[in-house]
Amino acid sequence: MKTLKQYLYISAALFVFAGCKPEIKTANKATSNADFSRYIAVGNSLTAGYADGGLYLEGQQNSYPSIIAKQMAAVGGGTFTQPLFNADQANGSGYLQLTGFTATGSPITTTVTANTAVRGQVTIPGFGNVTLYTKYTGDINNYGVPGIKLQQITFAPYGNLNGFFERMLPGNAGTNSTTYLDFVTAKPFTFFTDWLGNNDALGYATSGGAGDVLTDKGTFAALYNLSIGKLTASGQKGAVATIPDVTAIPYFNTVTVGAVLAAVKAANPAVANLYINARTTAADGTATYAARVATAADLIVLTFPTSKMGTPITTPAGTLPYGLTPLTPIENQYVLDANEITLTKDYVVNYNNTIKSIAAAKGLAVFDAYTFLNGVKQNGLVVDGVGVSSNYISGGLFSLDGVHLTPRGYAIVANEFIRSINKTYGSSIPSVNVADYNAVKFPAK
Amino acid sequence: MKKLLLLFMWLSPAVIYAQGFQVNLNGQKQIGMGHTGIGLAQDGASVSFNPGAVAMLPENYIQGGISPLFFKSAFNAAGSNVVNYNKDKVATPFNAYAVWGPKAAAWKLGIGVYTPFGGLTDWGNTWQGKYVLESLDLKAIFIQPTISVKLADYLSIGGGFIYNRASVDLQRGIPLISATGEVGKAQLTGNGHGYGWNAGIYVKTEVGMTVGITYRSQVNTNIKGGDAIFSVPGSLAASFPQPNTFSAGIPLPAQASIGFGFYPSSKLTLALDANVVGWDSYKALAFDYATNAPSLQDTYSPRNYKNAFSVRGGAQYKVTDKFALRAGGGYTSTAVPDGYVTPEAPDANRYYVTGGLGYKFGSRLDIDLSFEYEHLGSRFQTNVESNLSGTFKTNVYIPGIGIAYHW
Repeated sequence: MKTLKQYLYISAALFVFAGCKPEIKTANKATSNADFSRYIAVGNSLTAGYADGGLYLEGQQNSYPSIIAKQMAAVGGGTFTQPLFNADQANGSGYLQLTGFTATGSPITTTVTANTAVRGQVTIPGFGNVTLYTKYTGDINNYGVPGIKLQQITFAPYGNLNGFFERMLPGNAGTNSTTYLDFVTAKPFTFFTDWLGNNDALGYATSGGAGDVLTDKGTFAALYNLSIGKLTASGQKGAVATIPDVTAIPYFNTVTVGAVLAAVKAANPAVANLYINARTTAADGTATYAARVATAADLIVLTFPTSKMGTPITTPAGTLPYGLTPLTPIENQYVLDANEITLTKDYVVNYNNTIKSIAAAKGLAVFDAYTFLNGVKQNGLVVDGVGVSSNYISGGLFSLDGVHLTPRGYAIVANEFIRSINKTYGSSIPSVNVADYNAVKFPAK
Repeated sequence: MKKLLLLFMWLSPAVIYAQGFQVNLNGQKQIGMGHTGIGLAQDGASVSFNPGAVAMLPENYIQGGISPLFFKSAFNAAGSNVVNYNKDKVATPFNAYAVWGPKAAAWKLGIGVYTPFGGLTDWGNTWQGKYVLESLDLKAIFIQPTISVKLADYLSIGGGFIYNRASVDLQRGIPLISATGEVGKAQLTGNGHGYGWNAGIYVKTEVGMTVGITYRSQVNTNIKGGDAIFSVPGSLAASFPQPNTFSAGIPLPAQASIGFGFYPSSKLTLALDANVVGWDSYKALAFDYATNAPSLQDTYSPRNYKNAFSVRGGAQYKVTDKFALRAGGGYTSTAVPDGYVTPEAPDANRYYVTGGLGYKFGSRLDIDLSFEYEHLGSRFQTNVESNLSGTFKTNVYIPGIGIAYHW
């Protein structure tokens, strides 16, 4: 039976073979002409990881700069520290949570108010109230400040006007005089991403063209040039991003004129039109507004309280229903009308041309967020079996505020940045697994 | 009034009987010789290899074998530095045959139970493609009663009816997360059956060479009323109606083969097989859910497979009357066009080498050991449906043991 024994040995050996795994060689660490040892992120709320109408710990932990930095670690990236909220104040500024759906399928959101990092409020003369958050002390790589405009980066008192910036600064509100640009460039760095400029158009757009102004094109170009000049002063490499088309976001595409009209008609079939207070011209300069019939080309903001529709409004001509007559139009701040859209787009395209030409002159990588998000709006996107779109909530890309992204959205953006950095600098930062990042969280009931 | 239609994109699950699921492990002696057996009359496994050769078998057979299959697949997403591996799970293709006929008669009856298609892949629920596939367990068991008749000393024919009993268990993530962090999941499980036939001709030529020609029909297998289990956050339950069932039809492809046997000496047998597998019948995969919702529509996904070809060669050397050594190998072209490769069976052109040992105890009992190593070339793919993009590479290790009693 000697042979049989040999057979057994042989088959035992065969089972050992069976442990072998196939080998795949992953991308080589190509020689890159960019140095990632100290990467800083410059930008606004998108850079900070703002989501669901607030800045909170989980959003910060899923910010696109933190994702990029994790991936950079494989190719010489150094430590990346974010000004995180403490765990016991993890809810930061507070944020929106999806808590259910109405019988008709409308989402119900609730603001989280517990365990925030709010430390108080201060009144700045000539400006107004500023909410203050628990100070952050420590190293910072992610300088994202929610709300900041490019227009404000050289404004010395800005550290007194924005609580998210104030919390990074040593001084208390009222005493600060360090500009944002000086603050972010104070400590040496080797690589940067810069996604500033969104709020220069977005502030105007989200207020329906009522509460804010578009930054002057010439000012934008001058400041962009100045900031990139300073960021690349020691030969640093970096990546910049363009400004998304503000009309590509669900904030403007969820509550539509058609949907509001249909709902009104359901209650009162006689209603034929909605009226809005609209800009009379798309030309730059002083605007005049007049009531007119709303069309599908006018965008209503996500936060429009639809319960206002049809409520009685006292006018010189008597009591009239809100939104349904030329004398009681939907107010300007709830509508980005067709002319305002044209105007905003004109500015955004101009800003983006500035961004792209300065980036080209400096040889910087560009993530063209404008083109990318318009593409997603047109065609959707499928990533590793996950379909994403620009739809509110179900699209998976945008968070509950309809402007900022979900962790999944930020992971997708991180991959786009990584792609453009690798392309420009010959680096091989590995891409991130988007499937590891979730979209809007749904309640159990 | 902020009314929303929560329309989630539900992509088609891809239950695929790809080439990777054609396992061909239908007899230990034949595996040892590189899967050849169309043009030989070796043992009861001729029921599946060539029903026409059954009547030429010198003896009656009862036999069975099992080939534990270790499917080792790796995936590296485009641009990523992470390699995902499927989990160690062992599929167990098996074969069992009985062949009987009176010694003097020109006919023999046979029955075969074998598993020509099947797959077991488990990538887990943390890998890059978890929303494409977590795991798939697919089995097809062919039961084939067979009759074979010797028309002349040099010519026999045979054929059998095939009943296929199939089962599927597919699991994948649904990219919806609950407030408490649970990720959605879909599980599709069901059984189905299908019918077909297998026929062959076996010729002993005057020059001493043997020739076999076989055709195994397509076996259309329908899964009806399988369970479609969706677990999603409670607030979205209406989007994925439960309980629910699904139906799907899968054509297991036809296969036409020709094989040759050569006998240079009394100790040496050489075999050569070639076949074409009719995967081009696999144009699309459709899933029909009993209860639809706006987010759960029936799906129809193009597959557009093309026919696959394979050539195989093998040898058996009888060291003594009792002891045989076997070796062989082959090459198979992929049926899956670029863009349609999925993690269920990351298909690619493949080659394989095999070896085997046979030992005869007394005059009636054979024990056969076989081993096969199969290598699927690395293939960079971007799936047209899921956009899962990266490199697949697969090795398969298949030891096996068979026992045959003959008289």
